[in-house]
Order: sequence, then C-alpha cells, then structure tokens
Amino acid sequence: MNAIDGSSHVEVNATGQTPSLLTIVIDTNPRGWAALKDTLPFSKAIANILVFINAHLAFGNDNQVAVLAAHSNKAVWLYPKSPHSDREPNGSTDGDVEMKDVDDDKDRGNANKYPQFSAIESSILSSLQSLIKSTLPSTLPPTTLIAGALSQSLSHIHKTSLSFAPPKASTDPAAPSTAVTLTPSQPTLHARILIVSVSDSEPSQYIPTMNAVFAASHARIPIDTLSLSQHCSPTFLQQAAVITGGVFLSAALNPRGLLTYLMFGLLADAEARNSVTLPTQDSVDFRAACFCHRKVVDTGFVCSICLSIFCEVPQGAECLTCGTKLALGSYGANPAVVPRKKKKRKKALNGVMDRDASGSAAGTPVPG
Amino acid sequence: MSVNANSSQLSEYLERLPGTTFRRLYQQPSTAFAIFRRMLPHLAKTIVMAMLYMPTPFLLSDLEIWVKPTAKRQKDQALSILRALHIIAVTVPCRETPQSMTLTANFKSSLRFALEGGGDHNSFGVPSQLPIAADVDIAFLDKYARKKWDDILHFVVNSVGLIDSRSDGSNGPKASVKDLLMAGRLVERKGASSTMNITQAGFTFLLQEANSQVWTLLLLWLEAADHANKEGHHTGMESVDMLSFLFLLASLELGRAYSTDALTEPRRNMIPYLVDFGLIYIPHHDRRQYFPTRLATTLTSSESSLRSVSAGFTAASEGMGGAQDSNAIILETNFRMYGYTSSPLQIAVLALFCDLKMRFQELVSGKLTRQSVRRAVDMGITADQIISYLATHAHEQMHRVAASAKKSLLPTVIVDQIRLWQLDTERMATTNGFLFKEFDDYKEYISVVTFADEIGVLQWRNDRKGMFFITYAGLSQVKDFVKNKNKEKKAGK
Repeated sequence: MNAIDGSSHVEVNATGQTPSLLTIVIDTNPRGWAALKDTLPFSKAIANILVFINAHLAFGNDNQVAVLAAHSNKAVWLYPKSPHSDREPNGSTDGDVEMKDVDDDKDRGNANKYPQFSAIESSILSSLQSLIKSTLPSTLPPTTLIAGALSQSLSHIHKTSLSFAPPKASTDPAAPSTAVTLTPSQPTLHARILIVSVSDSEPSQYIPTMNAVFAASHARIPIDTLSLSQHCSPTFLQQAAVITGGVFLSAALNPRGLLTYLMFGLLADAEARNSVTLPTQDSVDFRAACFCHRKVVDTGFVCSICLSIFCEVPQGAECLTCGTKLALGSYGANPAVVPRKKKKRKKALNGVMDRDASGSAAGTPVPG
Repeated sequence: MSVNANSSQLSEYLERLPGTTFRRLYQQPSTAFAIFRRMLPHLAKTIVMAMLYMPTPFLLSDLEIWVKPTAKRQKDQALSILRALHIIAVTVPCRETPQSMTLTANFKSSLRFALEGGGDHNSFGVPSQLPIAADVDIAFLDKYARKKWDDILHFVVNSVGLIDSRSDGSNGPKASVKDLLMAGRLVERKGASSTMNITQAGFTFLLQEANSQVWTLLLLWLEAADHANKEGHHTGMESVDMLSFLFLLASLELGRAYSTDALTEPRRNMIPYLVDFGLIYIPHHDRRQYFPTRLATTLTSSESSLRSVSAGFTAASEGMGGAQDSNAIILETNFRMYGYTSSPLQIAVLALFCDLKMRFQELVSGKLTRQSVRRAVDMGITADQIISYLATHAHEQMHRVAASAKKSLLPTVIVDQIRLWQLDTERMATTNGFLFKEFDDYKEYISVVTFADEIGVLQWRNDRKGMFFITYAGLSQVKDFVKNKNKEKKAGK
C-alpha cells in the first residue's frame, strides 16, 4: 500500500521516435559544378547525396525526404515530383505544388535494393536528367536561385507538418471552456533543410533569402549548409545557419569527402542534436546587401524608421522602402578643425550610421 | 528512445545469440538494415552512420568529445546495445594505442550494400516475373492476413470462455500453430479434460499490439525449431536462416509477387508455416510466387509508423487496420472509454477489463470500473498489462494531444487508479489464528495483549473493545501465559 502515494505517478508516454523530414536543396548551378568537375563530378556528388538520403530514411520508416534543385533560373522539385511535371514547370511562381508519391513502376524489380530507396532514386535521377536537358547553354546567369527553393521547401514542410499536427481544439462556441489551448511546445515532426551549395550568394537575392530564413527560424527549422566551392562563400547561407541554429560546413578543402561530411556532420536530426556536438563556424560573415543596388556592403546607411540598408544616400534623402524623408544632418561635409564654441551647441541629427564608429551618433560639426 | 516494449522481446532473443551467429546474420544486407532500423536507439543509429564511411577506427576519446556530456547516459546505453548486437568492436584498452572502435566487417559491408543498393545478394526479395492474378490486391491480402491472425487470436481468446466460438466456418488455426501456442504456454490444457485454459502469458499476448504478437509467435517458432534441432530431429530449418528470412520478408513490398524459385531449400520449407501464420499468401493456382502480407512487411516498422498518418489512412481505407492496429481507444479522465472497433475479437479483449455499456456500428463505449478491473485482475491480468494495452491502442488524437501538451499519453489519474484497484485485491491478507475477547477486566487484557505483542504473534488489537487477534502459531504460548496468570490469580486469592 505504501508504494502508492500522491507523489509517484506513473507516466505512460508514447514511445517511438518523432518522424523527421529532411529537405535537401541541391544547388545545380552548371557553372559551379563545372568548376568542381576535376575533384568531384556532379554524378558522383549525386550518388553520394543519394546514399545520404537512404541513410536518413534508414533511421526509421516514417522518416521522410524531399529534394529540390535550385537551378540558375528556377527551383525544381526532384522528389516528390510535382504533378505538373509533364508540362514545363515554372519554378517558384508555380502556385500550389501538390505532392504525391511517384508511381512509376520501372526499376523496382531490383532484388538488391530496398524498394523505397530505388523509387526515390529513380525519381530524382529522371527529374535531374530532364532538368539538365532543358538547360540551354546560352542563357545561363552565373547565380543560383536559392530563395525560391527555400520558400518552396518551407511550404512543403509546413504542409507535411500539418498532417502531423495536434487536432484543433473544440470550435464549439457553446462550450468554450472545453477548448484547451495547445501550445506546440513539442513538435510532432522534426523538419530541417540542407543546402548543398556550389555557388556564391547572389546579393540581389538578399531580401527573399532573408525572408525565407526568418520564416524558417520562426518555425524552428534549422537550415544546414554544405558549401563545396572553393572560390565562393555563400554569405547569406552562413547567416542562415547562425540565425536558424543550423550547421554550416565548408567542404571546400576536400570536396571528395562529401559523403563523410554529410554522414558525420549533417545526418544528426533534431533528436540527435540534443546529444551530439555540432560543427561550429569560427567566423561568420554578417554583411548585408543594400536595398538599392543589391551590393554587399560593409558600411552603409540605415533608415531610422524601417531599418532598410542603403549603400549610398538615396535620391532626395527619401527612404526607398518606407518613403520617410530622412534628415541627413551634415553628412558628406569635409571635416575641419574648428575652434570650440562654448555658447552654442548644435544638436545631433540622426540619419547617418557608420558601422565601424556607431558609437558617435553626432554628425561632424559644420565649419563656421 | 525508440527501443520499445515489443522490440525488447526480440532484443532479448538476439542478445542470447553468440557472436558467430551474428556474423552469419549480418551477411545479408536486409538483416543488417532491419536490425539497424528496428533495434537501435536513436543515438546509436547516429553513431553507426557516422562511422559507416569513416576510413579509420573511431577513437573513443573522439566520441567522448563528439557526444555532449549531458548525453553520457544515452551514449553508454547506445554503446552497450551496439556491442551486445555485435555491431561494433571495441579494442582492448592498452597503454600504447588509445581505445578505438570499428564496425564489424560483415555489418559494415552489408549496411553499405543496403544503402547503396549494390552487390548481388538478392536479399530484398526477387520479384516474380509471372503474371499476377487480378484478384490478389492489397485489400485481398489484408483480408487474408486478418482472417488468419484473427483465427489464432480467437483460439487464444476462446480458451477464456468469454465469447462463444463462432460458427463462421473457420476451424481455427492449424494444429502446428496450436502446438506452438501450447509449447509457449500461452494456453495450456488443465487436468484430464481437454479444455484449453489461457495462461497469464496468454493474456500478455492478447493485450499486445499486433506487431508484437507476431513477433512473440515467431520467436516461439524459432525457439521450437532450435529445440527440435537440438533433440536431433531434422527440421531442415535453422534459426539463423529463419531469422534472416523474416528480416527479408520485412523489407518486401506489400502487394507485389515474389518468386519462390529464388529461395533456398530451407527457406522454401519455412513457407508453409508462414502461410499458417498469415505472414505470406500463396495463390492456389500458382505455387511459384508468394505475396507478403501486411503482417510481414511491418515486422520491422517502428510503433509510431504503424500509427502514422499515411499508414493509418491506408489501413483504415483498406480494412486491415480495422482488426488490428486501428482498434483506437480514447480514454477520458472520467474513466469512460471509447473503442473504435467492430471486430468481435477486440471487443472481447476489451470486455476482459472494461464494463462495456453500448455498442454502435464501429464503436463500443464503456467504463473502467473498480469491478471490471477487479474481475480482470482475478483472471490473472495485471494492471500493467491493462495499462500497456490502453497505451498501445491509444487513438491518434490521444497521441497528438499528449505530444503537443507534453502530458502523459493516458490520463495519470486513470493509470494510478487502475494500479490502486489492483492493489485493492492485495489489501486483504488472511491470517489463520485466534481471537481473544471477553476478558474479566481491562488490566488482565492489557497484560495478555502486551505479552502477545512482545513475542510477536499479535496481529490486531482493539483496546476499547478489549479484543485482540493472534496468529495460529502463537496460540500455545499465549494460552500458557493466560493459564499461569489464572493460576497466580487463584493462588493469590
């Protein structure tokens, strides 16, 4: 009898692991891969990524995967396939992307392969082939549209997590007391995004990328990045990893070890990340791109109302985003040594920000 | 952790196997894959995957750094499971070289094959090229498996005598299955009469979810085969090969035909048994192909995936889950219970411990009462069994609410109460003995009761009424004491 008292409750908890959804965004920029072709050909990289996908799925059969290609001019679903794949997919402008499992039956007859694995593999390979075929060498911008792929994967994650979400509280207006407020303190689906990047961050993509990153951070979806290219550094993706609590790894020194990088550094999902030390970055490039010319700037002007960043004074000193008339103070005047005036003091005007010397908010005094 | 109740049976069985057996088991990629997926806790999986493509041995000191200090307990647990299953080998500690660990060769190559899809091992089943009969679809297979399995369960439940044996033309399971159930002491013949009686192990079996029931039976089968081999009977089956074949079945795809020609002779011998269990189906007209049923393909699925949305949806629409997994129970804090099932079998199981009040098309509702739980406890069912049954069959809604509100799956109040009700039965301890009462005066009573207390035979006393109760063994001593007392009294007079 003494074994039971009020303090020792026996909690019956659901066992089993939380399903985890891995969204992989593969940067398929032809220029980026061409630069890598001596060390890591594209086909080899895809083979490694496929093994990585299989490893993720092997963790449990409710784990899911989604793969996107961020191409130089569009973002394309590789798996699960878009139902509109027969007509020309128009990338991120494609409205509602319905997902369904591939039902092509070829290549399933392999006795040496787990059926689910071969289904995913054939889907990814065939979509990649059609993507490569449709790419014309003449129209190749040197950049990759990461932002579109990011927003597509975020919407996919949202859609998937809805199917795992707790039921809505009672909507009966007659009995509002029964409506238990459910705080999603523990997610029922662990989602994360992995970007395999080979190209530089495009400054013109700054705003859409950052919007996606903050959305991900809000939804507590870590964005991991594996950068393969030696010459470029995806600045914004570094920031994305920091903001969302993801991992940024650079495999630039040894791109051939792609699989080891993936398996060791990036396979751990949210559950394992609680118990495993993650690779960290020693220095993060926090530079932003300006809103006016999409240039990455070290020092710039910031609108005091909406915090938009400009690389130079906007025309008419009017913020391009919110239209506020900004007082520039005495910015741009030549500095001169002035005898100290004791009677009058000019009030400091805001509107000028210097990153390096942000401590001194006052403008330089005008001579005379 | 993902190691749940039903995989513990299997892990117990596996951990008894010697290392050489594991080496043979891991030769088949599908086995390595299934064990990886089913038996390992999450951190262990992460460690294995990190080591899989590592060219050099993994130093234990590096592992120490990699795993956060807060997760040391999980790490040690993971390592011990990995070692017990012979997945990693750790070097002996010595002074010159630091301690390191490697994946065992067979496991490593097999898991690599499973992930890469290379090799020529045919361990994921050879599909049959023959034409498939049109009527063999997933719904048919589900119906078939359900009938086979329900027959087995009915056989066990019937031995309780709670439900009448139905006259729907089924003759129950085959004799071999019956023997197996008896050998596993799930049911036993009591006395000279030929009636079957369910044992406590049988109740445990009934109250498990389908997946662990299948494993229970399969493990019984493996043990029976081991036993027979030891006694010199040549069954043509070997438990290691049987286990590999089961893992192979688990990786097959539901609704596809596979070729029996590609199987080895011992494995072909296993097929009749598996047909009896309802794990595979062989069409009558063509014995060269076999179909795995849902019972087989979900062998290595984790518990939550059986419940996951897509699986639940397909199961609901295809009828299989109706009998087994989607017997979804909603338990309210007011002791009311709603079971979404229409299977007479599940209703019979529920009736074992629940007071069923109403029955609708696909729903039974009832109440957990003190009486109903007591009745179950009297039959030999424990409170833990009832609780685990309710937990494994909890409705999807209960899981979601529990997961999002971070509460326990079943209402704590109910769980505690069920345990208390069980303890109720243990509240009354009977002791044979004697009651002493009607003493002449209080002083005399006190002296006798103090004596009884001192020699430790006193069971109960009531000073106000002047009564006490002593054990049987203490009677002679207390009697002597009272006699002496009376003598003294008389002498004193």
